[in-house]
Amino acid sequence: MGLKIDALTCTACMACELACGYHRDDAFALLSSCIVPYRAREKKNYIGIILKEEDSLIAARPEGTEINRIGEEQDPEKEADASAKPMLLRESCDLCEDLDDGPLCIKFCPVNAISMA
Amino acid sequence: MEYLASNKIAIVDLATRDIMEEELDDDLVLERIGGAGITKSLYDRFADEVPIVLGTGLLTGSLVPGSSLGVITAKSPSTGRVSHVPLSLDAGMELKYSGFDYIVIKGTSEKPVYLWIHDGILDLNDAEDLWGKDVWSATDHIRDLMGDDLIQVLGIGEAGEKGSDLAQICINYWQSGDRMGFGNLFGKKRLKLIAMRGMGLLEIAEPEEFVEKCGGLLSAVKSGGAANIRGIAAMAAAFGEEDIEGWLKPLTHKHMACFNTSVPTNTFVFLDEDPALLKETTVKEPGFLLTDIAPLLALKRLGLTAADACHVLKACAKFGIDGAAVAELSEKTGLTDPEAIKGSLPNLKGPASSSGDAVFSPWAAVGNQEKDAWMRRQAVAYIFGLHPLFALMAPELNEEKLLDISSLGTELELTQETLDEVIADITG
Repeated sequence: MGLKIDALTCTACMACELACGYHRDDAFALLSSCIVPYRAREKKNYIGIILKEEDSLIAARPEGTEINRIGEEQDPEKEADASAKPMLLRESCDLCEDLDDGPLCIKFCPVNAISMA
Repeated sequence: MEYLASNKIAIVDLATRDIMEEELDDDLVLERIGGAGITKSLYDRFADEVPIVLGTGLLTGSLVPGSSLGVITAKSPSTGRVSHVPLSLDAGMELKYSGFDYIVIKGTSEKPVYLWIHDGILDLNDAEDLWGKDVWSATDHIRDLMGDDLIQVLGIGEAGEKGSDLAQICINYWQSGDRMGFGNLFGKKRLKLIAMRGMGLLEIAEPEEFVEKCGGLLSAVKSGGAANIRGIAAMAAAFGEEDIEGWLKPLTHKHMACFNTSVPTNTFVFLDEDPALLKETTVKEPGFLLTDIAPLLALKRLGLTAADACHVLKACAKFGIDGAAVAELSEKTGLTDPEAIKGSLPNLKGPASSSGDAVFSPWAAVGNQEKDAWMRRQAVAYIFGLHPLFALMAPELNEEKLLDISSLGTELELTQETLDEVIADITG
């Protein structure tokens, strides 16, 4: 059981990132989020969402979802992007297991782009 | 100010290169609340020194729906009035998280400079390498220099550098809500751009209850009238403007939202790529983000195709000039050829009525709205830090609820009486 992310519906508003950051820090902050809209291709308007899970890094791209197992060798041709804190250093998604209403990213996504898988 | 703020005001003197910092006092927030309430107060304090004041709303950067707004307050060279323009997209959020709630910029630099605001540090750097670059090149340069594609940039192009009263402060690569010629102010001060990036943290006085209320507000908005509006064309139609959805559809790639704003009010069009393409394009600059409805509608009225209109707006953004003014002046002079319009940019002179007649940018004056009600709603948006267009579409975020959630988040007793006073002051 995990999160299902629809990158085509996503509007890159970052509400999920902020909600997850709040879940981690009990304050508004973006550094600790395990779900991050990928915004680094602004002129190309190429937007996806990255989610850090225990064993994988999920990249919900417009053309489909990619699952990268942590620890497996990645494509050396792929360009790494600058990030305030690389995703691999962040905590893994715990589906907000301590909250009655479930994941905050689902609750705060205004366009229902995130759901339980 | 312990909560929902970085607790810092910076005062930058471009002439002496002195940078001073003050705390954001609780008393100032109790008296002026935030956003344009405080930027106006700071403007008045430094009025003799021709200040430009950047700020964020009290709720900017929080989970309150629509909390994207930054504000610039200054005397418009176009209208002569102290005015407020919105900083939308991710700029308001980045300013809040960069470690400063308000920044006063006064004086004039001898040489071109830029401000680099990052994690509570404010650097004033030489901009000789940037001066002369168009908006897109300047943003690319700063992001490459700092190694971070998520830096938010408020910058000017040739229009601002050359002192055009139609010059606009652009956000990254895109047109902003600056219809007041503030780009001219940047140029006069030889301030090429402001670059912002921050990983700040905003404490909340009553976090659980605050976030619970944010969830309630979002639920109300999601079941309200704005719930299904997607994109610039749909938004314009919702306000009673001409329906241009069909005209724009062949170019439409994706609708994009400003930070934490439930309604995506921007639309990215592909001009040099198939809009239906899902994977990342290999084309370096395939299109343009439409952020302002008025120039789009005006260019359509001139008879331009959607593609030509978007190409003109892209040229305006690179040049750093208000697209609404360009469209208006093109109509006045009978220019309807897109290449001729683009060619006219360097010599275009006002006046243009695109500045409107209010203290708030008419960027959010879409459709026919009752003026006093519009002014009040804009004031509320600019004080609390809500997206000005979204604020018009989401009456669920009423003043009582905004005061209630603000008091909860800050532990300060913010009253309707204070809000009325601040609104009266900033709307004149």
